[in-house]
Amino acid sequence: MIPVQFDYAAPATLDEALSLLAEHKDDAKLLAGGHSLLPAMKLRLAMPQMLISLGRIKDLAYIREEDGQIRIGAMTTHHQLESSDRLREICPLLPETAGTIGDVQVRNLGTIGGSLAHADPAADWPAAIIALGAEIVAVGAGGKRIIKADDFFVDMLTTALDPGEILSEIRIPAPQGRTGQAYLKVPQPASGFAVVGVAVNLTLNGGGACESAGIAITGVASKAYRASAVEGAIAGNALDEQTITDAASHATDGIDANGDLYASEEYRRHLAQVYTRRAIETAAARVK
Amino acid sequence: MKIEGTHELRASRERVYQALIDPEVLKRAIPGCERLEKTDEDTYSATLKAGVGSIKGIFTGNVRLEDMRPPSHYRLVIEARGQPGFLKGEGDLDLEERDGITVVSYSGDVKIGGTIAGVGQRMIQGSAKMMASQFFTAIEAEAQTEAHEAPPKHGFFRTALRWLSGRLRRLFRARSQKTNS
Repeated sequence: MIPVQFDYAAPATLDEALSLLAEHKDDAKLLAGGHSLLPAMKLRLAMPQMLISLGRIKDLAYIREEDGQIRIGAMTTHHQLESSDRLREICPLLPETAGTIGDVQVRNLGTIGGSLAHADPAADWPAAIIALGAEIVAVGAGGKRIIKADDFFVDMLTTALDPGEILSEIRIPAPQGRTGQAYLKVPQPASGFAVVGVAVNLTLNGGGACESAGIAITGVASKAYRASAVEGAIAGNALDEQTITDAASHATDGIDANGDLYASEEYRRHLAQVYTRRAIETAAARVK
Repeated sequence: MKIEGTHELRASRERVYQALIDPEVLKRAIPGCERLEKTDEDTYSATLKAGVGSIKGIFTGNVRLEDMRPPSHYRLVIEARGQPGFLKGEGDLDLEERDGITVVSYSGDVKIGGTIAGVGQRMIQGSAKMMASQFFTAIEAEAQTEAHEAPPKHGFFRTALRWLSGRLRRLFRARSQKTNS
């Protein structure tokens, strides 16, 4: 439970952090909330020689509204997102997702940027930000780059970030019109990670039919994914019980599901369908 | 834990089989392989720096090839240990040729213990799939290379590109099958 020896730096600006990262390359890891990295280091599953803390950089923790987007700083903690009254009003999926992560200690220190950059295949945020059609802002030596949430997750623990880049912000299109959202998950009883987690972001038209749907699933495969077949099956339709059930049966179409001691591939597929149905029903019932 | 899967390689079965038993090729193709030495007939000693993302560990162990029936089958017996844990397993590789494409099917049983099994259990299957996919992508490139040519390089980006183009091919094939039916 004691990590191997490492150096530590706490730069005051993003530029300083970027140059430290460029200097130490693969030997360095960025430290955000540390709730995935530090346990891995204590178990000596991760042994970075240099730890660059982002905790002293001012102005990386915020929730702002700008240009029709909700902009969230990478170092914003799960708790800050969970307890934001403004988010509960304009994009309740974010606080709802935050509230299901780990336990109080994890939510107090863990950050949305750290969770996304770590890309745990069972983390909760990836499903929410794909469902919301978010964009990720990555800062590197060459400047800013915007990556769509759909393209951000490459594989297990692997993202589209370049080794020299830092995730600085998450941009979410502010939901407009008659929207309903939900995040439902089956938590692993010991770790709290999602065995299956389903995020739904619905927009209905004046007649009550589904105008657009963003649905994403985490925990099932090596990375969170957009359930396009489910979205296609409800878009344009009235959300009656039969339509929702039929649509949810496509939750794992074309997906290579993973199994472990706790839940087999088959069980995960089944849970994904059941929770997709429940999450769509819940989101539809919440439409205002 | 059972590990199984199939990979389609665009190369002849003989060439794929040759690549799969050539220690020089294996050393280049196995993700993170730092050392592979022959210690006995069909037996090798290896050092592997294996891992995904920031989670990495160094493993050393032995690999033995058994029941070799070129160009269609062999059995792989592996035993390795390292700081994060140990693994012990055996599996069968079967090669079939269909319209110039070699289909490699593997199925095996692996026992994993130590820290990695205790805390990383939920990620083991995904990591195994990811490494298998990188390995077969590299083997495909090796089998497509003529004997007198320089061996292909397997940097991260090259492997990622090959992997992506394979994904796209499969996707389009699946699409065209759908439209045909």
